[in-house]
Amino acid sequence: MIEIDGVIKRYGANTVLDGVDLRIAPGEVVSILGASGSGKSTLIRCINGLERTDGGAIVVDGHRIDDPKGLQRARRCCGTVFQSFNLYPHLTALQNITLAPTEVLKTPRRQADDEARALLAAVGLEERAGAYPAQLSGGQRQRVGICRALAMKPRYLLLDEVTSALDPEMTADVLAILARLAADGTTMLFVTHEIDFARQISSRIVFLDQGRLLADLPTSEFFAPDGGLAQPRIAQFLSKMKK
Amino acid sequence: MHDTGFTHHDLVLLLQGLGVSVGLFAATTIIGLALGTGWALLRYYRVPLLAPAVAFLAELLKNSPVLVQLFLVFFGLPVLLETDLTPVEAALITLSGNTAAFVYVIAVSAIESVGREQLETARVFGLGRWQTLRRVVAPQAAAFGVGPLTGLLVNQLQVTSLISVIGVVDLTKAGAILNVRTLAPFVVWTVVGLLYYLVARLIAWSCSRLETRLRAHSQWKGL
Repeated sequence: MIEIDGVIKRYGANTVLDGVDLRIAPGEVVSILGASGSGKSTLIRCINGLERTDGGAIVVDGHRIDDPKGLQRARRCCGTVFQSFNLYPHLTALQNITLAPTEVLKTPRRQADDEARALLAAVGLEERAGAYPAQLSGGQRQRVGICRALAMKPRYLLLDEVTSALDPEMTADVLAILARLAADGTTMLFVTHEIDFARQISSRIVFLDQGRLLADLPTSEFFAPDGGLAQPRIAQFLSKMKK
Repeated sequence: MHDTGFTHHDLVLLLQGLGVSVGLFAATTIIGLALGTGWALLRYYRVPLLAPAVAFLAELLKNSPVLVQLFLVFFGLPVLLETDLTPVEAALITLSGNTAAFVYVIAVSAIESVGREQLETARVFGLGRWQTLRRVVAPQAAAFGVGPLTGLLVNQLQVTSLISVIGVVDLTKAGAILNVRTLAPFVVWTVVGLLYYLVARLIAWSCSRLETRLRAHSQWKGL
């Protein structure tokens, strides 16, 4: 369980997260929607401890992330996939995937390699194991990014606008993989602008607006005329995104 | 009237001088690389007191003539410490410090060239400081730094010629001795210059091979 209680994050005078409460239980797929600057990515960065919160608490499987030991354990539970891939440019696709397992989990090299190859095969990249990120297309890089997160066998997958840097065709490739993961029961917190896809795979939709949580509803309710759409801000956002 | 003809002993003298120059260059490069990189790490980890201290020291060493530093170490240090210092020891200390100061600058910018997102990614995946340094920062910084380092090392080889003034019989000093005896400056200094040139080319060639290896990841091999 990821428990987010009244989290506040400020940059100077600018309040980016203004008392966000959210619970993510194992097996759920929760999509976070909202306009640019609404605090979606910051929320992810707070959960994996890249940003210090200015108030409230985040607890991942009982580990408080404001405590160094707790943060270390919480990070073992969460895998992150980044918007701009953030692959290590000096390592091959395979090495990108095995770095954390061998260094952090102390998985034997052989076993880590085998697991990484299996992950790459699952996303159709078994042939590209020895390629460096610069030799991969954007979609391929992001698939490696997903494998890298999965290699740590995380309980929760944090996805931060993972298709924003991709063209529609590559986006479709990556989304197909995420849909499969969702169907397999992977717990995901999915920050996205892909509304139709979010509607397809999510069990719940969360809507952030200027750092506040405007809605946290089961997917069908969120898109129902008397549910999320009844809120003018959400209706406005969705109609804009449709165009 | 003394004999001004070249003998095969002259060649031995030149090669001995070359050996001293290359040996000092190699030793001071190794020490300078270790020191300069260490100083850069003090800065990277923002170690209190030590980080600003090495920054100040590097500034001093970079912004004063090596010859002045050499005189200070050779003539000044023994007075201050009340010990004797051989010319070779003085040369080792001075050139190592000077190389370290410039390596420090290169290492600092090389480390800073590694993107913030790389460090964040390593942190998110649970890598510790040392693991991040060793597996993520160092390889990328090395690939970035080896180019400027090549230029520095080629220059530092030429700088070793300054140690001849305190009596170290390096290649330049050997040339000066031969010059006085043979009275054939054009031949002697051409040969000496060529020997420096060949060693410099060797350094540049080795560095460029190293660079190709370190930058394997950014070489375009096509899809």
